[in-house]
Amino acid sequence: METARIHRRHFLIGSASTAGAIAAAGVTGSSFPAFAAETKELPDYVSWKDADKLIMHTEQTLEMKRGAGGTSVITPNEEVYIRNNLPSPDESIVADRDAWEVSIEGVNDPRTLTVGELKNIGIETVATVLQCSGNGRGFYEHETSGSQWLTGAAGCILWSGVPVRKVVEELGGLADGGNFMTSTGGEQLPEGVEEKDIIVERSVPAEAMENAILAWEMNGDEMPLAHGGPLRMIVPGYYGINNVKYVKRVAFTEEETDAKIQASGYRVRPVGVDGAPDQPSMWEMQVKSWVTHPLKDSESGRVQIYGVAFGGDKPVEKVEVSLDGGESWQDASFIGPDLGRFAWRPFLLTADLEPGDYVITSRATDSDGNVQPESTEPNHRGYDYNGWDRLAVEVTVV
Amino acid sequence: GEDESLERGRQLYLEGTQPQCGVCHTLEEAGTSGGIGPNLDNLQPTEEAVRAAVRDGVGVMPAFSDSLSPEEIEAIASYVVSVTQD
Repeated sequence: METARIHRRHFLIGSASTAGAIAAAGVTGSSFPAFAAETKELPDYVSWKDADKLIMHTEQTLEMKRGAGGTSVITPNEEVYIRNNLPSPDESIVADRDAWEVSIEGVNDPRTLTVGELKNIGIETVATVLQCSGNGRGFYEHETSGSQWLTGAAGCILWSGVPVRKVVEELGGLADGGNFMTSTGGEQLPEGVEEKDIIVERSVPAEAMENAILAWEMNGDEMPLAHGGPLRMIVPGYYGINNVKYVKRVAFTEEETDAKIQASGYRVRPVGVDGAPDQPSMWEMQVKSWVTHPLKDSESGRVQIYGVAFGGDKPVEKVEVSLDGGESWQDASFIGPDLGRFAWRPFLLTADLEPGDYVITSRATDSDGNVQPESTEPNHRGYDYNGWDRLAVEVTVV
Repeated sequence: GEDESLERGRQLYLEGTQPQCGVCHTLEEAGTSGGIGPNLDNLQPTEEAVRAAVRDGVGVMPAFSDSLSPEEIEAIASYVVSVTQD
């Protein structure tokens, strides 16, 4: 029972209260999040969120509990995770949302546009999986810095805004040499720190512009300040860090930015190696799925096993479910509408379970035939664990 | 002894890094009130968490493994944990 050993180990590294929470809930082995039983008051800037559905790692990192989020594709704003690299700006920046300005550079007619002006250029809605690069960090065995996210630094969200390609067209098209789209966040920086050391500025390949939008709406609400309002860059299929909040500048640049968060941060490298610009950047997401129900002991008989699956920047084509830790697999079906290739798809397998111990996990395949791996190769910073081994849950059916 | 190591950790927290820890972090015992990174009094991090964060950085927090020795990182971690636990 290698898998069972791994899972027990994983909740042993949580706080003492984790063990208590698991005991209290009668859970025998699912990868329950740390601090589940603690009630911490949410900070002011996210006080409107549903504290019962969230785990607070720090004031700037809130994880959605596994099993929250429901099965209707879209994650409610009150439950969407928070990972702010810098403190949320003052509420005053959303007092007059249409007045927020963004400078567009590296086009033939560079200009500063207000949100009000952007709203007149075009509107498009896109559903995307928003996922933190570190989602699943807590499943790695090596010592990693940062929040020990399990599955809940992810959600599926409908964004509305103006397509970046339309803004570029409006401003005379791309100037020569625009290899990267570089977005800069409008957070206030502290004194005594070099700007490039701390600024949230991310470059992605310029092709990402074809799907990107400058969004002012999130799931039908005005973009909450905590999620980047008044204006956020949305890069479908890319990790959360590239979806720059409070975006004040979008520049088509010849090189990637030399800001630390790009040059040495968010780089995939072997354990023990420093970050450097020649290593892969956390850009396109990879195929991934996990079960969100059941997570605890169940009655024998019919059990609805469900979860979410996505292909990153490709559509997810197939999801299989295993009840025996990967020995055998059965095809699951998708629940609900297909919201496009950047969205996730909830899946379902109905099973008739006899009493016993089960190791339940899922395995997704994308449209290119990439299959979610059994295990994820360790990387220094513990980015995106997508192996179905440790994403499994242990359930006792009585 | 232990007290010396904690004093060393405190000194490194206050002056041993560029930028200094307190520019971004609040830590009552050290008298710092930075508001960029997590408030360490509220966070009550484990030694493992401080060690990893100082060594490797987190998000926009820089990695200090080039400018601090493992012993110095350990001293900061011990100090922060010792003054933030209930």
